[in-house]
Amino acid sequence: MTDYGHTLEFGVFITPTADDPAAVVELARLSERLGYDLVTFQDHPYMADRLETWTLLSWVAAATERVRLSANVFNLALRPPATLARAVASLDLLSGGRFELGLGAGAFPQGVAAMGGEVRTGGASLRALGEAIEIIRALWTTGRRGIRFEGEAYQLVGAQPGPIPAHDIPIWIGGYKPKMLELIGAKGDGWIPTLKYITPEDLAAGNRAIDAAADVAGRDPREIRRLLNISGVFQAEAGGLLQGPPEQWARDLRPFVTDLGFSTLILMSDDAAEIERFATEVMPALRDAVADRPVMTVKRAAIRAQRREGIDYEGTPAGIRAIEPGDIDYPRVKSTYLRGGAPGIVLQPANVEQVIESLAYARRHPDLPMSVRSGGHGVSGRSTNDGGIVIDLGALNAIEVLDEATRRVRIGPGARWMEVAVALGQRGWALSSGDYGGVGVGGLATAGGIGWMARQHGLTIDHLRAADIVLADGSLVHASEAENADLFWAIRGAGANFGIVTAFEFEVDEVGEVGFSQLVFDASDLAGLLERWGAVVENSPRDLTSFLIVSRQRGGQFIAVALSMIASSYAETILARLQPMAQIAPLLDQSVYLTSYASVMANAALDDHAGVGEPLSRTGLLDHITPEFAQAAERLVQSGASYFFQIRAVGGAVADVDPDATAYANRAANFSVVAFGASPSRVEEHWPALHDHFEGLYLSFESTRSIERLYDAFPPRTLERLRDLKGKYDPENVFRDNFNIAPRR
Amino acid sequence: MTRQAAITMDYGHDLLFGTFITPTARPVSQAVELTRFAEDVGLDLATFQDHPYNPGLLDTWTLLSYAAAKTTRIRLAGNVLNLPLRNPALLARQAATLDLLSGGRIEMGLGTGSFWDAIVAMGGPRRTPGESIEALEEAILLMKELWDTETRGGVRSDGPFYPVSGAKRGPAPAHPIQFWIGAYKPRILKMVGRSADGVVPSLSYLKSGPGELAEINKWIDEGAEAAGRDPHAVRRLLNIAGQFSRTSGGFLVGPARQWSEQLADLAHRYGVSAFLLGSDDPETIEFFAKEVAPMTRELVAARR
Repeated sequence: MTDYGHTLEFGVFITPTADDPAAVVELARLSERLGYDLVTFQDHPYMADRLETWTLLSWVAAATERVRLSANVFNLALRPPATLARAVASLDLLSGGRFELGLGAGAFPQGVAAMGGEVRTGGASLRALGEAIEIIRALWTTGRRGIRFEGEAYQLVGAQPGPIPAHDIPIWIGGYKPKMLELIGAKGDGWIPTLKYITPEDLAAGNRAIDAAADVAGRDPREIRRLLNISGVFQAEAGGLLQGPPEQWARDLRPFVTDLGFSTLILMSDDAAEIERFATEVMPALRDAVADRPVMTVKRAAIRAQRREGIDYEGTPAGIRAIEPGDIDYPRVKSTYLRGGAPGIVLQPANVEQVIESLAYARRHPDLPMSVRSGGHGVSGRSTNDGGIVIDLGALNAIEVLDEATRRVRIGPGARWMEVAVALGQRGWALSSGDYGGVGVGGLATAGGIGWMARQHGLTIDHLRAADIVLADGSLVHASEAENADLFWAIRGAGANFGIVTAFEFEVDEVGEVGFSQLVFDASDLAGLLERWGAVVENSPRDLTSFLIVSRQRGGQFIAVALSMIASSYAETILARLQPMAQIAPLLDQSVYLTSYASVMANAALDDHAGVGEPLSRTGLLDHITPEFAQAAERLVQSGASYFFQIRAVGGAVADVDPDATAYANRAANFSVVAFGASPSRVEEHWPALHDHFEGLYLSFESTRSIERLYDAFPPRTLERLRDLKGKYDPENVFRDNFNIAPRR
Repeated sequence: MTRQAAITMDYGHDLLFGTFITPTARPVSQAVELTRFAEDVGLDLATFQDHPYNPGLLDTWTLLSYAAAKTTRIRLAGNVLNLPLRNPALLARQAATLDLLSGGRIEMGLGTGSFWDAIVAMGGPRRTPGESIEALEEAILLMKELWDTETRGGVRSDGPFYPVSGAKRGPAPAHPIQFWIGAYKPRILKMVGRSADGVVPSLSYLKSGPGELAEINKWIDEGAEAAGRDPHAVRRLLNIAGQFSRTSGGFLVGPARQWSEQLADLAHRYGVSAFLLGSDDPETIEFFAKEVAPMTRELVAARR
């Protein structure tokens, strides 16, 4: 009696006949409609009356939506593993993670030879299969180094790994001989025998052989799924095994599931009526019959070996996507945009309940770092860590309109600002956010939001009307001016300290077309340029917001790029605003577009993040660009200590808001300064000269963690109030990865 | 040799306009979406480069198959498939399969391979230029044999590159699949003239500019004639790239009228009958399909 605890699944095994290709595809689609989990095709490339299996699988993947696909099984002798690995990964990516890899050593040596394939028999073909599995798995990882493999059958000399498939593709192996079963136990993820070639006694013996080999290899036999190709005859009268009415089929199959552990049953049939009958009459009956068997997933030993200490991997909340270091998706989620990370586990809740469960799970690990991630662009907010827990809110990315008349929208923390801009733009609306479309909503909208229309429309948080927040104790509360007003005050500027916002309600602006301009200046006289740019910005009407970036060109020349948005659709207005700006220094290049806010924000690739190391970023808020400040900035930039130096205009509408109205209190500043550097000591050499001029800082751009920075970010009165509220809402200091405010007890 | 480029050439093929799309793996559906877009805006062909050693790209055959299933009219080809990392006997069955599934929309863009270190890194062979051309011709002939289901008996060949011992013929493709070969130098061009159906160079690789197309044609024509073939049997395709702008800024940088005149000129002078635009930008692709293609067709028709 053996049951390996895998979910019960059903598949079909369709002959890929070349006579009527459309009929083959239609059988696959029918199987999908009937609820099968898996569509498989044999692979005999030497047979000329068959469709070629790889091409057919690719086509069927495009012609279906849900069902998973596999060869049953690929002939390795005619499909070299390195190119096969890339092809399989490609199809898995294209199909949204619906491809599984069935692989065999390659029977029919004559057919293989006829096709120009390398004929291997006996032990050599088994060793080749073992090598192929290693090569394929190695190519499905990422790494900077090429793969060297000196095998008997296959040699790779520096093949670059990748692409990584969309999901952890199991390698299922067909075969019967003892050595093959040993290989499956040692390296496979599944065994696919065909019932007509093997007796139930030999299936049991095969399982035992696989289990023993798995044991020897330090694996759990439950890592290996057992799949069975079956066939039979539907008939009114009861006959032999799988020869009778559907009820008999279900009775016949039950022991294969519960006693022999075969949890995937694949019907070999090209008869639509039979495929339908099995789906509608056998599948439900069998599901009912085995409904009480316990089901569990055991991760591969190779994955478990990469687990970090102190994390309860077996106790992750059910139903929440959890990614651990050995998982195939881990390289995609471990790091953020600017920061390399190595968290012990990344939880990806898909709804508020799951956020609450994820937080509870994290709180069961009080000594480990916990990071909350929305878009993963944070500079001050870590949103990744080393050996701790990440709660990744990327899936909470809904954008919905609550009320057309007041332009009230509800947005999840995982939405990206470029997506928000598109959704709002379709209605002629916009919400000033940051300058980069890839940034997530959650981090920015709990800190401030200094965007392209800041002077006209204020900070992002100035449009916030309400939020749903999961607090440290796991409760979900609503905060607005009317409800939990103190919390509502705190999350507008210091939100990361108070909980996880699961939804934001904003009142957004009506914004038509806008002007967007890029002016490139010779920045030889950088101090003068900065001063003149600052004066132009301060003297401009609010419809202009300008961001200035200074960089050194190859050859040593300094240039400054002024990116300006003019919130007007009138060409005359746009040009009038730019006229004074164009005078601040010799103009090297210029462009002006009449465009949409959404187009300007469509400047990011929503790609996996691959940050390495730690960013170094310093920042400050500034009232005016004085000659003294401009000279200090010039010294910093010319020293080469900062490779990216940016000043953003604030002021205007931002300053209309009472400093006590939100936790973002430094309202008077006209400019926000950011400098990215590589060497802390070199930046530190110049930074005090700038720091002297600052009146506070915008915490989202600061990477250093000194307590002094907390005093820069929050004026005393604000900080006092934040401490009190921290004591009230997060007394145990659960949320501490971003400008931690110590709770007052 | 004196340059004879001013002589007009026209091999009498209908004009085709297509794309040359990067099969990028990130974002994963970009290439498929661009293929559908190319079909929607009326282009004739979607083609993809094939560098199986590059992990940033999707496997080209998989992508071709997937994209073919997601489209209904546009024709598809590799531009060009990497022979040393593909078994030609299997490739013949793959192409026939996809041609059957797609209703005859597949052509066989094929090349010798060129990045030998990367090919060897993947477990493929290293070949000299001479060997790579011989292997390519052998592959073409083998694939044609496998598609030929009229002839009786299995396909046999002693190689030297692709020995097969009685491979069964079939399946036959839905239409006669064309071999379009990436080629620049005399020896391979003569082989194209002898054994293939088209040549597909990239304009950006022509060191001395479009004038080099006359040379390319010369070698192909010579190869064809030596084999007793009509040079008209070989289509001249060209990968191009450019930029749409309101003011002229050089070759294929400018407005639609300028592009059309320049392309019509290439058709007229060098007999180019298929232009494949290397771009992943929908706006440029649409501009090419909706403005440049019709205008070029008109100009060429007027001159023919």
